[in-house]
Amino acid sequence: MVALGVEMDHRHTRAAVAAIVTAGTMAVAACSGSSNGSASPPGPASPGPGLAAVTPAGTRPVSSVVWATSRDVISLDPIFSAGYPEYTTDSLMCESLLRQAPDGSLQPGLATVSNPSPTTLVFTLRPGVTFWDGHPVTSADVVYSLDRAADPKLGGYYSGRLDRIASVTATSPTQVTVKLTQPDYWLEGELASMPGLIIEKSFAEKEGKNYGTPAGSIMCTGAYMLKSWTPGVGVVMVRNPHYWNPSVHPLVGQITIKGVPEITSLTAGLLTGAIQGVYGVGLPTLDQLEHSGAVRVYLGPGWSSDMLEIASFKGVLGNLNVRRALSMALNRQGIIDSVYQGAAQLPRWLSNPGTFGYGMSVFTQAYDGSPVLTQNIAEARKLVQQAGDTGKTITFGTTSQQAVYAGDTAAYQAAAEAIGLKVALKSVPAQDYIDFFISPQARAGIDAFPAVDYGDYADPAALLAAFELPGGSVNYDNSDDPQIVAALEQARGTANPNQRAALVAKAEKLTVQQMLWIPDVEPDTVLVLGKGLTGALSSTAYLFSPWADQLGGTG
Amino acid sequence: MRRWRFVARRLVVLVASLLVASLVIFAALYLAPGTPLAALSGGQPLPPASVQVLEQRYHLNQSFPAQYWYWLENALHGNLGVSITLRENVSTLIASRIWTTAGLVLYASLIIVVLGIGLGVVSGLRPGPFDGGVLVVTAVCAAIPAFVAAIALIIVFAVKLGWFPALGNGTGFLDNVRHFTLPAVSLATASLAIVARVTRASVRQEADREHVQTAVSRGIPARQVIRRHILRNAAVPITTITGITTASLIAVAAVVEVAFSLNGLGAYLVQAAETKDIAVVQGISLLLVTAFVVVNLLTDLICAVLDPRLALTDSPR
Repeated sequence: MVALGVEMDHRHTRAAVAAIVTAGTMAVAACSGSSNGSASPPGPASPGPGLAAVTPAGTRPVSSVVWATSRDVISLDPIFSAGYPEYTTDSLMCESLLRQAPDGSLQPGLATVSNPSPTTLVFTLRPGVTFWDGHPVTSADVVYSLDRAADPKLGGYYSGRLDRIASVTATSPTQVTVKLTQPDYWLEGELASMPGLIIEKSFAEKEGKNYGTPAGSIMCTGAYMLKSWTPGVGVVMVRNPHYWNPSVHPLVGQITIKGVPEITSLTAGLLTGAIQGVYGVGLPTLDQLEHSGAVRVYLGPGWSSDMLEIASFKGVLGNLNVRRALSMALNRQGIIDSVYQGAAQLPRWLSNPGTFGYGMSVFTQAYDGSPVLTQNIAEARKLVQQAGDTGKTITFGTTSQQAVYAGDTAAYQAAAEAIGLKVALKSVPAQDYIDFFISPQARAGIDAFPAVDYGDYADPAALLAAFELPGGSVNYDNSDDPQIVAALEQARGTANPNQRAALVAKAEKLTVQQMLWIPDVEPDTVLVLGKGLTGALSSTAYLFSPWADQLGGTG
Repeated sequence: MRRWRFVARRLVVLVASLLVASLVIFAALYLAPGTPLAALSGGQPLPPASVQVLEQRYHLNQSFPAQYWYWLENALHGNLGVSITLRENVSTLIASRIWTTAGLVLYASLIIVVLGIGLGVVSGLRPGPFDGGVLVVTAVCAAIPAFVAAIALIIVFAVKLGWFPALGNGTGFLDNVRHFTLPAVSLATASLAIVARVTRASVRQEADREHVQTAVSRGIPARQVIRRHILRNAAVPITTITGITTASLIAVAAVVEVAFSLNGLGAYLVQAAETKDIAVVQGISLLLVTAFVVVNLLTDLICAVLDPRLALTDSPR
């Protein structure tokens, strides 16, 4: 039920990326060529050593910062916000009912939550919270915001995720009661992301259909206020002098979010100081930036997974042994080195260990007890022979214009050929890649395609549910493994976090056994900060919670 | 009188081109795979209820003729429609970007006219090492595509030397000029080389002609010979090539705008075409077609003024 942000940074500089992709392809191919079936070095323990979710807090005021995103922001309305640029911008200005901490755990946000019964959530508003215009946040604003997110008639993107909500009622000026049709312990995560952002009712009604567009404005509660939004130039925000939370003192006076799709442009901007920060996903110039001295690169825990999504089980990948063999033949270290420039981890599960936002000890123990997925070509070739599938063809969907997907495909191509399978590629332009996720016609004839996905809150179940539960948004071939479905459904209705974690861990282990999708690597969150700046969040929580509260100059 | 009839005829051709272009572009985007809704949601699978609402809102569930007619009818009433991606009027979105592209193309044209024609005239009149140097350099420059020039200029003048900013528009006139210098140079490089070479050839050709030789032998001062007999006659081919290259800058500007992250029409056109934001693509394309036709018309008119013997006809020169 949880739809995933399947959008990668579509930065494709024609010549530069082509060159980088070619180099990466050769590197991956070379590595797998030299492999003699020995296991790769053991992977790091969860969630990856040296990955900090925060950077040292800033100490000095900074007048303004220009921050890059992979493309222009297209909406500031939370119900129409669904990509890295929108999340990065919204999370600075608008706040949700619950808040995701840097480690992914859920904390009180604009409200605290209690569960008087498994199908009742009561949100009690924090006293003294005001919108930018000074009006206090009331239960009417909360009811309005949640109803708006849940209303399918508005065309918003999140109504499906709130499908277990029966009613939202203001039970007092500071209290909102949410009744559910059945228990849903994933809802709190949703209400700590876009569907849970609270906007001012009177303001939104006045703006009407202009709310959150370049022609209109927005009204939220965050530490930064919208100053201007000019498409093509950027979203400019200024510090909110009357921010309701006295313990937060942002140091940056003004933040401009600017879409910079070109890698060369972005890299030159960072090197010259015209851009002072970016969260980079699969940034091919990471090495160059790291060694320039002009910026500092931080790696933090990630929530996304780089995977091979199986589009159809009707072809050669319908055989579990072939899927296992393909996974076993994959040179994952090659992908980490050449595609991610080291900014990724070897996987044990499909989900990134950065998503362990609750039941941490249960998750960590189960994760560390699972084997790292390592390469063993000889064994893999045997599996294919036993399956009698040697010489059969796998068709991968891919694009040559997106460095990560091109690199993943090259690694899979090498893996498949090394174990006696033939490979066919169906390549599409980068901007059409998303059709693989949403259009059965685009997936016709394709066995699998690489993808980077993440859930909108730190729970491995967010990723699994989308492709393993019947009716899941990316459950392409109606996969319906009874054990996995049972574990996930039970987890959704389980109140105790540790018990829920144990159920999700079970589903993860079964997922790796069944290889319903094949884990490639677990990308880190990559934060690039200009010289003299520090304090931005360095975990994927930056997408949904204020990441610049502590951003400022270094001592 | 004949001149006005010519202009009127050209304007009729412009309107016809716009109609045909609008239909072809609309059809091409309609046929291209994918849906604008995909870009809208950042690639997330949307709940079916949202898809239904959004398709209805933007008339995506109607047939091609119905969609095109809806657009055309609005366009004829001066309403270019609404961007699906940004939910904002297309005319507003274009207006906020038009000066970037206009400024960039003007700046580049200025560089082409001053440097291209200047270099061409000097090297045409003074055979020797300078001329040889210009020939070699322009041969190289003519072969450099704008995006390669952009990357090279960014690396040298923005990253290594730090003389010019690497990206963005800047604020205020002087800052704009500073920000637009590298983009304008990369946009102008190839055209500048071609204009210089054509200018040089025309000047050389005129200088060798009999009436010029006669004028020189009669002792008319060199300055007067150059101005009246050489440049005046060489002006028509120079104007023609300058006009053509300037018009082509309007299209090439997209590449440079993307490379330097300028908020121009070209970069926006690329982005809108990728996301199938059809009203935006239509609006910008038609504006660019108009600009192209107008620049060519102006070139023809200037040529006619320079040499009244030239007949103003629509046949290719």
